[in-house]
Amino acid sequence: MATDATGMPTEIAPQRLKSLQMISMAATVGVVTLFVLYPVYYLLQASFDVGGADIRPPTAYGLDNYAALTNYQAIIVNTLVVTFAATIMALTFGFLTAWILTRTNVPFQRTLEQLMVVPYYVTPLLGALAWSFLGAPESGFINQLWRHFGGEAALIDITSPMGIAWVMALFEGSVAFVMIGAVMKSMDPSLEEASQVIGGSRVRTMMRVTLPLVAPGVLGAAIFVFAEMLGSFSAALVLGTPARFYVITTAIYQLVSQYPPRMPLAAAMGVSLFAVMFLMLYAYRRITAHRSYVTISGKAFRPRVMDVGWLRWVLFAVCASYVLLSVVIPVATLIYASVQKLAVAFPLASNFTLDNFRQALSLNAVRDAMTNSIVLGLVTATLGVIITGLLAWIIQRSRLPGRGLLEYVVMFPQAVPRLVFAFGMMWAWLVFPIPIYGTFWVLLIAYLTVFMPLGVRTISSVIMQLDRSLDECGQVCGASWAYRLQTITVPLLRPGLLAAWLLIFVASVRELGASILLMGPNSKVMTPAIVEAWFSSSSELTAAMALIQTAVIAITMTIFYLLTRRSAQQEV
Amino acid sequence: MMERKAPQPTRRAALKGGLALATLPLVANPARAQDRPVTKVLDFNTGADIAKAEAEGEFLFYTHDGEPAAASIVEAFGKDFPKIKGKYVRAQNGSLFSKTIAERSAGKFNVDVIQFSEPATAIDFQKRGGYTRYVSPEASGYAPEHLSNPVGDYFWVGVTFAGIAYNTDKVKAADAPKAWKDILNPLWLNGINAKQANSGMQFIQWFELRKLYGEGFWKEFAKLRPRGFDSRVQLYDRLAKGDDKVCALAEYAGYLLHKQKGAPIEFVAPADGLPASQLLNGVADKAPHPEAARLFVDWLMSNRGQAHYQNNPFLYYGSVRKDAPPMPGGTRLKDFKLLIPTDMDALMGAREAFNKEWNGMLGL
Repeated sequence: MATDATGMPTEIAPQRLKSLQMISMAATVGVVTLFVLYPVYYLLQASFDVGGADIRPPTAYGLDNYAALTNYQAIIVNTLVVTFAATIMALTFGFLTAWILTRTNVPFQRTLEQLMVVPYYVTPLLGALAWSFLGAPESGFINQLWRHFGGEAALIDITSPMGIAWVMALFEGSVAFVMIGAVMKSMDPSLEEASQVIGGSRVRTMMRVTLPLVAPGVLGAAIFVFAEMLGSFSAALVLGTPARFYVITTAIYQLVSQYPPRMPLAAAMGVSLFAVMFLMLYAYRRITAHRSYVTISGKAFRPRVMDVGWLRWVLFAVCASYVLLSVVIPVATLIYASVQKLAVAFPLASNFTLDNFRQALSLNAVRDAMTNSIVLGLVTATLGVIITGLLAWIIQRSRLPGRGLLEYVVMFPQAVPRLVFAFGMMWAWLVFPIPIYGTFWVLLIAYLTVFMPLGVRTISSVIMQLDRSLDECGQVCGASWAYRLQTITVPLLRPGLLAAWLLIFVASVRELGASILLMGPNSKVMTPAIVEAWFSSSSELTAAMALIQTAVIAITMTIFYLLTRRSAQQEV
Repeated sequence: MMERKAPQPTRRAALKGGLALATLPLVANPARAQDRPVTKVLDFNTGADIAKAEAEGEFLFYTHDGEPAAASIVEAFGKDFPKIKGKYVRAQNGSLFSKTIAERSAGKFNVDVIQFSEPATAIDFQKRGGYTRYVSPEASGYAPEHLSNPVGDYFWVGVTFAGIAYNTDKVKAADAPKAWKDILNPLWLNGINAKQANSGMQFIQWFELRKLYGEGFWKEFAKLRPRGFDSRVQLYDRLAKGDDKVCALAEYAGYLLHKQKGAPIEFVAPADGLPASQLLNGVADKAPHPEAARLFVDWLMSNRGQAHYQNNPFLYYGSVRKDAPPMPGGTRLKDFKLLIPTDMDALMGAREAFNKEWNGMLGL
């Protein structure tokens, strides 16, 4: 393309531009269709399968599996109770901490901001395991201490429904923080300042100005977090099973792992969850359809923070408590447990050992799995941001027919528990003409598929805040779609894109449900190995492995942070 | 409790007896059953062509065992045969079965050797033509009942068996269970654990104790609100830490592992017998590395492989080989009265009833 001295295109054939845009959109939609709808077809097929067990393709179809769901009403109620409770808690943590760290002059803001995302780095199993060590009614360290000092019964019971929701919320709260924080960072503070100038208090400003403006981000985060909770497995498995408390994911796990596996029933359970997500998404679209959330316009702004006076120390305590409960205490607990033969609150000297770390590091499979996990995480996050960025743009900004439907399609992998969706992907990629099943590539495709909703939700929230006039201005000046994307949209979306990259990377490294079924002998990844250790070795070895995984992720993230900071400085 | 009826001869039993007789000469000298030359390698016999196996260079092992256990098996084999790289994929028994069947339905034959944790799954796989018939020369070290029928599809690579265990800090010696009926003591309300319905071992315990004590036994047990877990490690972990007082399905292998860690637990072997489950291993049909697969199975059947299964802490499975050395702790399988299902049709037929009763009992 010809450009002038400033790099602006000079001769643009409108038809060519149009076709480039259409090709990009068509390719993206094609990828989504292949990645999402292709496995969904097999999942739907399985949910209507009433033929012989494990005979594929099914020999008979019917509604028996859906009818059988009425036998699991208690489990469905359990799931909804825990999911709603955990979502509300996580959003409260996420919104409050995001507001404190982006809009106020809280002390140690940068350090706290970095610490806030740490809970998301760790596999959910780590959090569940740590809180199990702490809060199990009989052997929990807190309860042992309580009894040691004369207490009766148990002080806390982390295996109760609210205990499970608490743990889930603690570790998903940081996702809500990242998603809502990205929106708040992109918000022009002059609107809040205007509120204060006309006499609005800080709380009133937050409730009447900040909250409505970040509504798409909060709602987007709410939908994502709700779906995450709905599909949450580790916390329910580690904490719920001892209390005979099952949710849909743990029930599905039992149904598919027993012989004969009841895959059709599990598929019907999974598909039914989409109905719940469909309603959530519909409500979201209704709420956001006819309102403007634009906070990034042609007018320049510099993010500024409110001086909250002495309250800054109270707000600091709020953020520090979250970090303490979700990072410091769990990690310290796991370190304490991982250096014991049999983890107890008051161990004898002979109980201490480093064997768990020695054993974890000596497993060849674990070393290979860690490398594979990191490589897959980097590739998935990078490709994922490109694909989900384009998807978010198509959904929010294009006039492509059926773009609303596309948003529902994208949410499918999030709505169906991964343990079940993985079966759909397995059946789909097994019969795919290109032999990728059992390789690294099928895991990459699986990760890109299951994390599509995460990327789209994160980036969409920021796109909705962009004033269309910025893009239109570029268009009027003759810039092509690709050029506008590169010079206007992407730089403005930078916080959202970086947040999406980070979230997808971490989600990939800690992925469990899809990996268990799809990894082949040469493409093993880390989290299934950790869960395996919990099943087959010991909680103490599992703690050691989870700590090693967390340390590797932390090192990778630090490198990523340093690189992006350096590149940002160079740009300036 | 229901009275046990004396077994009546049936047409099916007579047919089975005839089949067993027909295969007897084959089992007595299994090496004769194949045209393959037998080679002695290290201290065992193999029907595999070792040069071809080394040229194949690898094999893929599917197993229900955990990650460290699976890794240890292929590593131990790799030490004896460094030119052959063993790879493995592991999953819970049901998922492993689904995955393998789905792969084979799609025409993907990746797996060379497969191991299931219960006979019902292995028999189902056999009926679907999942195994390649290979009669190992090492099969002569096994009694006929420890080999598939017909011989050569799979063999008992190990046996795991379970008694009762209790936490010595939480249970007074006088209250400690001594027989199976003692697990029904109301003292254990909300304090007793067992495995989930996905466990082959749990199925066999349910099957065998129901035969001994009638259907009412498990209904009484359900009143104690037992907690169900996926692995023996979890059962013992909770028992050792006092989260549960009694373990109703205490596998001896798990007991050894936790006792070594200094856990305050005791194992009880009830006089009326210990339910035991066989783990079944065989060469898969259309194995892509058939010679390496045969060599691996021969090695597993030999005393070398069996020693690994008996002594590795992640396995600790008892060997049914006639000349197997003692297990860690000095005992042999024959020192215990084991309750192993013999009527496979009855066992297969009871699976659905078990799943329904057990899932319901555990709150699922």
